[in-house]
Amino acid sequence: MTPFEEKLRNALRREAAPEGFAERVVARTRRETQPGAKAWWQFWAFVSARVFRWALAAAVVCVVIGGGLVQRHRQDRLRQEGELARVQVRQALHIASVKLNVTRKRVQEINREAPSSRL
Amino acid sequence: MTTVTLPQREEALARSVRGDATAFADLVQEHQSMVFSIAYHFLHDRGRAEEVAQDVFVRLYRHLDSIKSGDHLVFWLRKVACRRSIDEVRKLPKAPPTSLEDVAEPVAELPATDPLLSRGLQRMVASLTDDARAVIILRYQEELELADIAEILDIPVNTVKSRLQRSLEVLREKFHRWAGDV
Repeated sequence: MTPFEEKLRNALRREAAPEGFAERVVARTRRETQPGAKAWWQFWAFVSARVFRWALAAAVVCVVIGGGLVQRHRQDRLRQEGELARVQVRQALHIASVKLNVTRKRVQEINREAPSSRL
Repeated sequence: MTTVTLPQREEALARSVRGDATAFADLVQEHQSMVFSIAYHFLHDRGRAEEVAQDVFVRLYRHLDSIKSGDHLVFWLRKVACRRSIDEVRKLPKAPPTSLEDVAEPVAELPATDPLLSRGLQRMVASLTDDARAVIILRYQEELELADIAEILDIPVNTVKSRLQRSLEVLREKFHRWAGDV
């Protein structure tokens, strides 16, 4: 070991732990391993686990995609209703046109018959 | 300080695994200085170092049944203390690099155990990167061989060797600039 390394060894020698350290550790292990505390710790460990964070991210993605799908379904329904209304209007116009044609032909027939009946 | 023999240590470990709180307290007392010092040399804050050291022992309490022997216990404590300290250092806001002006000028010949010299060197060690600091602390505080350091930090021996050489060069240069005027 070089003199510099010797100095380093002296500078980094072990320090005494603070007074009462072991007692505080034992008290903490008792506190943290009580049944309630253990359950809480396990819950917290689960919550803070990477799996939970991924699940949360997946849930957010699902909500966003689900919202999009609901919105799209609503738009599809509106479009279908619009389409149906258009078909109904066309059908109504067609019926009206047929009726008008029949009426026009009837009027023409009456007009054609009218002069001969006058003679 | 009482010296604990190997059979006593194994016995205390076995009793701790069986849930004997007194035996666990004995284990803590035997290793508290090692764990606290690793954390302290990383963090340079006694409060934070105690918090980290407590966390290490609480984690040990939860994993007691996976500890196979006294030697494994020491290895486990060093490994977890290093990892936990590195995590704690990374949580701290980045400190500006230590300026040599921040370290008090030495005023006389520096003996090997001078407290001023030690403080200066500790601050220089604190200015190293986390990984380099871990190697230096395990080498000079724990006086471990390179292979043991490699096993604890889970890196190849050659990486330990190169990190150690590079860190020593940096520290030597800083030290000579700091102490050069004496």
